[in-house]
Amino acid sequence: MPVYIDISRCIGCRSCEVACQRVHGGSGHINVHFVGDSASIPIFCHHCEEANCTVACFTGALHKEGERTAFDVDKCTGCGLCKLACPFGVVWTNKIAHKCDLCEGRDAPACVTTCPANALSTDFELASRRARSRAARAAAYGGRR
Amino acid sequence: MIKVDVGLCLGCLSCSNVCPSQNITRTETGEMRSIHWKRCKEECDLCVEFCPAKALTLVPFDETVPEPDVSFELVACKICGSRYATEPMLKRIESALPANMQKDSEGLEWIRVCPACRRNIEAERATKQMVLGRSRKSP
Amino acid sequence: MTKVLVPSVCPYCGAGCGFFIAVEKECATGIEYMPDHPVSEGALCSKGNAALEIIYHPERLTSPLKRKGEGFSRISWEEAIDLVARAFGEAVKKHGPGSIALLSSSKCSNEENYLIEKLARLLGSPNVDNCARLCHAPSVVGLNRTLGAAGMTNPIPDIANSKCIFIIGSNLAENHPVLSRWIHRAKDAGAVVIVADPRMTHTSWMADVFLQLKPGTDVALLNGMAHVIIKEGLVDRDYIAQRTRGFEALAESVKDYPPEKVAEITGVPAGDIVRAARAYAISPASSILYSMGITQHSTGTDNVQAVSNLALICGHLGKPGTGVMPLRGQNNVQGACDMGALAEFYPGYKKADDPETIKYFSSAWGVESLPLGPGLTAIQMIDAAATGEIKAMYIVGEDPANSDPCSQNVHSALNNLDFLVVQDIFMTATAQLADVVLPAAVWAEKEGSFTNTERRVQWSCKALDPPGAALSDLEIVCLIGKSLGLDFDYPDAAMVLAEINRTVPQYGGITWERLGKAGLIWPCPSNDHPGTPILHSSGFRLAEGRASIVPVPYRPAAEDVSWDYPLILTTGRVAVHHNAGSMTRRSPSLMEREPDLYVEINTADAVRLKVADGDEVTITTPRGETEAHARLTDSVKRGVVFMPFHFPGTNILTTEVTDPEARIPEFKVSACKISRRD
Repeated sequence: MPVYIDISRCIGCRSCEVACQRVHGGSGHINVHFVGDSASIPIFCHHCEEANCTVACFTGALHKEGERTAFDVDKCTGCGLCKLACPFGVVWTNKIAHKCDLCEGRDAPACVTTCPANALSTDFELASRRARSRAARAAAYGGRR
Repeated sequence: MIKVDVGLCLGCLSCSNVCPSQNITRTETGEMRSIHWKRCKEECDLCVEFCPAKALTLVPFDETVPEPDVSFELVACKICGSRYATEPMLKRIESALPANMQKDSEGLEWIRVCPACRRNIEAERATKQMVLGRSRKSP
Repeated sequence: MTKVLVPSVCPYCGAGCGFFIAVEKECATGIEYMPDHPVSEGALCSKGNAALEIIYHPERLTSPLKRKGEGFSRISWEEAIDLVARAFGEAVKKHGPGSIALLSSSKCSNEENYLIEKLARLLGSPNVDNCARLCHAPSVVGLNRTLGAAGMTNPIPDIANSKCIFIIGSNLAENHPVLSRWIHRAKDAGAVVIVADPRMTHTSWMADVFLQLKPGTDVALLNGMAHVIIKEGLVDRDYIAQRTRGFEALAESVKDYPPEKVAEITGVPAGDIVRAARAYAISPASSILYSMGITQHSTGTDNVQAVSNLALICGHLGKPGTGVMPLRGQNNVQGACDMGALAEFYPGYKKADDPETIKYFSSAWGVESLPLGPGLTAIQMIDAAATGEIKAMYIVGEDPANSDPCSQNVHSALNNLDFLVVQDIFMTATAQLADVVLPAAVWAEKEGSFTNTERRVQWSCKALDPPGAALSDLEIVCLIGKSLGLDFDYPDAAMVLAEINRTVPQYGGITWERLGKAGLIWPCPSNDHPGTPILHSSGFRLAEGRASIVPVPYRPAAEDVSWDYPLILTTGRVAVHHNAGSMTRRSPSLMEREPDLYVEINTADAVRLKVADGDEVTITTPRGETEAHARLTDSVKRGVVFMPFHFPGTNILTTEVTDPEARIPEFKVSACKISRRD
């Protein structure tokens, strides 16, 4: 299941970056971006339903496996077309391509488990459920949001 | 020996990556990427198989034929100016994707923007509301 | 061999997150998360994720070393221990036991701290302290006075029950990142978050009300809030009447702090002060979280007392979702203090100047006499080393040459000692000055109990053997104790913990057998006691069970801007580094993210200084100068600059002025000037 972000929770601690790097032998696929002095957001693969990278890939190394945009290392020639086809800039090439694999083989992606602020999750609905709950309770307690 | 159809080559370096005998060399200076095919005697056609543009063919060894060379000027990112791809590669992406996918919601031709800037744009757009809300809070 | 998962407690901050170390063929191969951990729920910050990187660092010390001219030569343990024992024995004999000093470590386990404390006292020296002096000494002094106990009153997960969270002087989003999950959980349930900080930190992103105050004006802000709360009748009258003393004096003293006047002192708009005060007082359960921004001031103790006053007048103590929460910076700084590695206390916060304490420990330890009275604090030890009053010093796992203010003076003071022994995992700046250096084990190479910031005592298991000849701190202290003729026969940490169970009442029931997955929260006086997550729920351990409200007047910081030094320098931490940086600066995945010292300058100030982003600048204070990269930002106000203290340069600049009671240096306010280097 893809990873979703609740932007209001990101605290810019970069744990996801270090964790991703750690479980992927030094090359990570998630980057925390800082916007001015007031927000941060990790940028990573959305596992698009109609993924440009799979269209650009001519060997079938990048392909859809259910919700996941999967990558088969053995088929990659390192042409870099996938990197150019991704609108979000989240496929990298370093001789061969590397991208988010949703931590295949782990119970949950490392970035999701490690996120200290619970900003990352595999539950698409979570962020909006939280926002609704905040709005309702804020009305009750007189908070701002 | 490999024959190259220079008009078809994308300059993607697939062939150089897959060649088991390092017979296809590359040089990249700031603005240019050059690829050079040595006259090889191998009966191997990995590069032919893995050329996305079908620009290569395996031909009998002939030492009178000059070693092929091809050079590409690297395209500069429309935002930051860094050189990030060859023109034929970008053209190939443009021909592979439907026209409505080639401009994003704000009309930006994102294919002409380097991956690093694409990430920055994504970050800025996704946090726009957040940043506005937070800046209103502090004087 | 198969993979074994060894439960461990993170060696960095005080949150005490748990994780498993994956061990294959006696080698640590990775980290696995611990989703059922009560505090972290499997989460780890960037430092935690990089924790294993230091274990196999090539610069680990692997053999005892002896000074040889400018360098060091390897020696055997026998020779090293003999040198140390002889030097300390001689110093005691020639100059009296007051001539030796021990600096214990808040990175070491409870058992190790207990033994270091015991070693100092049995040798007759009152001079034993730890680096809590540089972070939460004012909390120990202030909260012991007002509430009768120093430490977080409520556990971390309880923050989720709070309806108003007031964070002052803490950038917990970067320094204790896992706390933010509990704060967000409270927010989802409708809590209001107030953040007061001179910088717009990542923590301020969570705030509903953000108070950007001038460094060093915390007492004014807190008194201003108390003024509003009292004037508008938002106090908890029953609570004040039944549980506290001293309210009238406070009401009188905060009359002088109307919001308009406080706005002038602090730079926070009066309307925001009123909003924050009302939100805090009206909510059914409010908590206050604070850390170094409150304590590292010459008014540190006052700041802490002002914080606890606010909680007391609103009755926000002793219930779920309330509390006064000092967030502690190191994995075992709470435990080091509990174990008495503080100049003014014996284990269990028994006052060192109380003859009853001496009687109690003389009989517990089976000795005839013990030193009475508070000894020298960490900073005073350095001063005493400079004057020659202290002759020999034993420093365990601390780096005062980097972490103390005015660090160049520390160098010359330590050089003035007859004998310095440093026990550490790396060759730190302090170890460079030592006569003997002893190689110690890191957390994963030993076992022991660690007490996190919420008083939760957790057992960390041994996953690996130390490299080369390195030994655990416990083994080394025992070797030294024995060679000094003391009865230090402790085969393992569990045996020391058993003695702690007997001598420290708060830890009475915290036995090795009971420290399962979630640990135990002290006070836990007996074997059948479940621990005490929330303090003060039935009164205070002070006279008549009442807490003290202590009025504190606002005093400006010791240094103010002047013509020569027109900017205020404040210091703090960043997300990917920890304290003096001897660990995180050796961690490649952290260093690549924050490799250099930088200084944050407001964009408007930068224009005046003709400094552009990324320029090399020199920062100068009366103590010295440091070079750093400029980072232009609007997260600090005009006239304020910020530097992280993880790199050697920062503490060359900071002032030596200390709080008169807690002796903590004022790291947070120094006057400085900045110029571009061309």
